[in-house]
Amino acid sequence: MHRLVEFIKRIYVLVVFLLLEVGALWSYATSSSYAEAKILSRTTAVGGAVSGVITDVGHFFSLPEVNRRLTARVAELNEELESAEALLYASGLDTTAMAMFEDSNHHFRYHPARVVSMTTNRKKNIIVLDRGTIDGVARDMGVITPDNELVGYVVSCSEHYAVVMPMLNIDFSTGGRIVENDHVCVIRWTGESRFEVEAVELSIYSEPKRGMEVEVRSERLPSGITVGTIEEYELNSAKSAYTATLRIAADMATLDNVLIVENTHYGEIEELIKQVEN
Amino acid sequence: MFKNISYFWLTLALLVAEIFILDQLSIAMWLRPMLFQLIVILLPMEWRTIWVLVVSLVVGVVMDVSLGGAGLYTATLLPLAVVRRTVMYLTTRRSVEPGDQSPLLTRMSQRQLMIYVGAMIFVHHLLFFWLETMSMVSLWHLVATIIMSTLLSVVIAWPIVRLFLSKIVR
Repeated sequence: MHRLVEFIKRIYVLVVFLLLEVGALWSYATSSSYAEAKILSRTTAVGGAVSGVITDVGHFFSLPEVNRRLTARVAELNEELESAEALLYASGLDTTAMAMFEDSNHHFRYHPARVVSMTTNRKKNIIVLDRGTIDGVARDMGVITPDNELVGYVVSCSEHYAVVMPMLNIDFSTGGRIVENDHVCVIRWTGESRFEVEAVELSIYSEPKRGMEVEVRSERLPSGITVGTIEEYELNSAKSAYTATLRIAADMATLDNVLIVENTHYGEIEELIKQVEN
Repeated sequence: MFKNISYFWLTLALLVAEIFILDQLSIAMWLRPMLFQLIVILLPMEWRTIWVLVVSLVVGVVMDVSLGGAGLYTATLLPLAVVRRTVMYLTTRRSVEPGDQSPLLTRMSQRQLMIYVGAMIFVHHLLFFWLETMSMVSLWHLVATIIMSTLLSVVIAWPIVRLFLSKIVR
């Protein structure tokens, strides 16, 4: 007991200082969105660097598996590319159709990244990736798994790290469409299950069925990115639209390697939208 | 008692000068002198750190409320309370000894005093301007602001330090 009192006597000034300093910094950090964003960016960089070192060890032991998956993916993509090109030339499409084909596939760039840290047990979960502005990553880029399943969107970047708002965040929202019949909806998370998201505003003519696949419909991502499959659905109280529960395709708890997707036309689209809004 | 009242009047005078004069000055973006940190720098080195922390907190909160700092002034003033003895030792090799009869600050040579005050003002300005911008994008602008503002602050502060320590406290 005597020792404890002596120890507290020795460190209490430091403890008081730290408490007051943290309080002052917290007050400053929450005073404006600029300070908040800057401090978030700094803490992300520091926290990301620390987590990065820890997770690097884990990644070292999983490298054979990672290599296997990446090689399989490269081979798959090469096959797809070759068959698409062969089909295109064999079918003798006219130059306009060929230009459309090329154009629709050539304004998305893919940046491979690894998950440094992530949360899945909060209402506002985040994922930190080991790619930042120095690697060409920017805010609003999409994030998917190597199997073309939606993960989320980049919301903040430091030089070497990016923070992603995943689907498992109550502030997340994106457009979606039912693959079978092209009916659109809004995807969001209710904050309840980390395996499910909600598709709302589905037209009453969409005739949803259990097992139907829902894709992302957004200017930030190419077509073919899966959100999940319909598990349950019901008409809303006004009977004006369906609300469906989707089982998320990506396994959010075991994310490791992801792809950051850049739409090189996104700035142009954003500019146009701003013009219309103004 | 007389000496403690002197510190009170110094605090009041520096706060008024900072809030009503120096903060209103607009010389240049990279030239922003500040004097209120002198309140902490000139407190007797013999005081216990916890009391210096309390004074720093009060001064910081007054500055934040008066100038809308939202914690910035407090956050940059509190570390000075903790590091001042270390800065004193590192820059002048002087420290408080148990048998001292007079305040340490009044026994220092002018050169030592200037080095100590300059170093403390530099530490404060470094924390303040970095925390204010929190960005390395305009690194040269930040460095210029810290150096030039420190120099101007020292120039303005020096007569006050000399007057206070030699005529009032001694």
